[in-house]
Amino acid sequence: MLNINELEQRWLKYKIKSYIPHAVIAISTIAIIIVASLFLNKEDSKSLQTSTPIKTSPKKPVRSTQEIEIKKIRTPKIKQSNKGVITQRKLQVKKVYSSPATDNSKKKMTIAPSLDFMKKMQGNTLSNYERNTETYTPPQNLQSRPKQTPKIENEPVKKAPVKVLKKSKIVVKKSEISIKRQNTHDDITQVIARFNKNNNPALSLFIAKKYYELGDYHKSYNYALITNEINSEIEASWIVFAKSLVKLNEKDLAIKTLKKYVSQSNSNRANILLDEILSGKFK
Amino acid sequence: MNSSIFENSKDVFLDTVHAKDYIQLDRVSTIYQSLKNSIKKPLKMVLLYGKPGTGKSMFLTKLYHDLSSTQDVYIYKTPILDESEFFKTLAQDIFSVNYKGELNFTQFMKIADSSDLNSVPVILLDEAQLYANELMEKIRLLSDTRSVKFVITLHKTEKEDLIAKEHFQTRIWESIELENASSAELKIYIQKKLMKANCFDSANMFNNKSVNLIHKLTNGNYRDTNKLLYTLFDLYIAYQDNQMLSNLNTNQVSNKLIEMSAIHTGLIHA
Repeated sequence: MLNINELEQRWLKYKIKSYIPHAVIAISTIAIIIVASLFLNKEDSKSLQTSTPIKTSPKKPVRSTQEIEIKKIRTPKIKQSNKGVITQRKLQVKKVYSSPATDNSKKKMTIAPSLDFMKKMQGNTLSNYERNTETYTPPQNLQSRPKQTPKIENEPVKKAPVKVLKKSKIVVKKSEISIKRQNTHDDITQVIARFNKNNNPALSLFIAKKYYELGDYHKSYNYALITNEINSEIEASWIVFAKSLVKLNEKDLAIKTLKKYVSQSNSNRANILLDEILSGKFK
Repeated sequence: MNSSIFENSKDVFLDTVHAKDYIQLDRVSTIYQSLKNSIKKPLKMVLLYGKPGTGKSMFLTKLYHDLSSTQDVYIYKTPILDESEFFKTLAQDIFSVNYKGELNFTQFMKIADSSDLNSVPVILLDEAQLYANELMEKIRLLSDTRSVKFVITLHKTEKEDLIAKEHFQTRIWESIELENASSAELKIYIQKKLMKANCFDSANMFNNKSVNLIHKLTNGNYRDTNKLLYTLFDLYIAYQDNQMLSNLNTNQVSNKLIEMSAIHTGLIHA
């Protein structure tokens, strides 16, 4: 008579043994799939991070936002002549950040950590500055500028352009919010490292602005100076430079520099800042 | 199910070599027919070879059974290793000469020459690989004289292949290789074997899936299959005796029991 119990036990062991390779293969394939999917997801997110700024900040909408910014800055200048334009501008930008507490803020969270995005952002700002300087240098442009602004002011009365402007505002919010999120020393050091590699004036200007915002006026002065040395036609750089000087109690030097710059470029913003410094509104 | 069914089924797979147990399969019967035809021809020697358990002994037994009524056929299932004993046995069986003392090849040839047999006797030698090389050489010479016709079976291993090449290659006029059964053949083999013993219920229990598993375990070897199925039905009897048969589906053979049988017979090393 066969010993069934012993045979069953042996059979059970055999079955377990025979399933081990299958289990190992199954587990390893699952592990490989998980690792691969994680890897792919990471790559996707990276590509998204790099690609989204390109998609969200096309050149044309940015141009329109610039115009809107300028418009916004200038309108208070005309109505409230005594208030600091740049500080108002900041306030306005901050308002823009805080107002869209909708879905856009969530998207911003994912976009923000990318330094590539910063690059794109700065690339855009640089082009803006370059365009601004281009428009400012010839005196004819100065005449054309005021002509343009009223046009834009008139346009919001019509319904369709208002919509376009609103859309463009959102684009600005997206791009500028990323700047805010990288307002840390770590980010600045990373940008400095990148600047040291490629000597991009947009980066040095960014660093100068950030240091100015953080209250490190000495460094903001230095980086604005570096930016001016690389490209002396960037208006924002001169403004940061002058403002930093004022903050470093070098008001006279700031006035002198701004006067020189205004005489060369006929920059409105520089002129406004000069007025504010002279009137003592900007301290 | 009645336990006697399992008992009967178990006995079907007892590893015995009887001509009545011969199962006719298409491929096997073709080979068998060609073997029978070869014997009718004036060939000196016919070699039947294959792996152990492919049915060589069964073939030889069947051949003996079929030819014995019409022809002088002598079968030696176990080898006679001593040379003198071998020739003495042949002399006695074929020529009815009871030789006293040592009988060598030359003396045997004299006896063969002096005999007046009408037909050439056929000697069937099973397990020829066990014969000594010298004796094999003499068997070869004996077949050359055409006084005796040999049908020998050899295990097909590397060593035995060498024997076949060295001793018989030039003299073998017919060589037949027997192979393991395919899965389909194995199913027919099992079912025919069971039905021959009137175990129809047991025969119906074997479906393609279970036969495939058996084929996988035995590689189609008839001897291993017999061993496995013998143990399988033994297990069924044990389950029935322990009143555990209700746990099993008796409509078809349990794969678990097949594997357990394979473990017991050593086909699976667990």
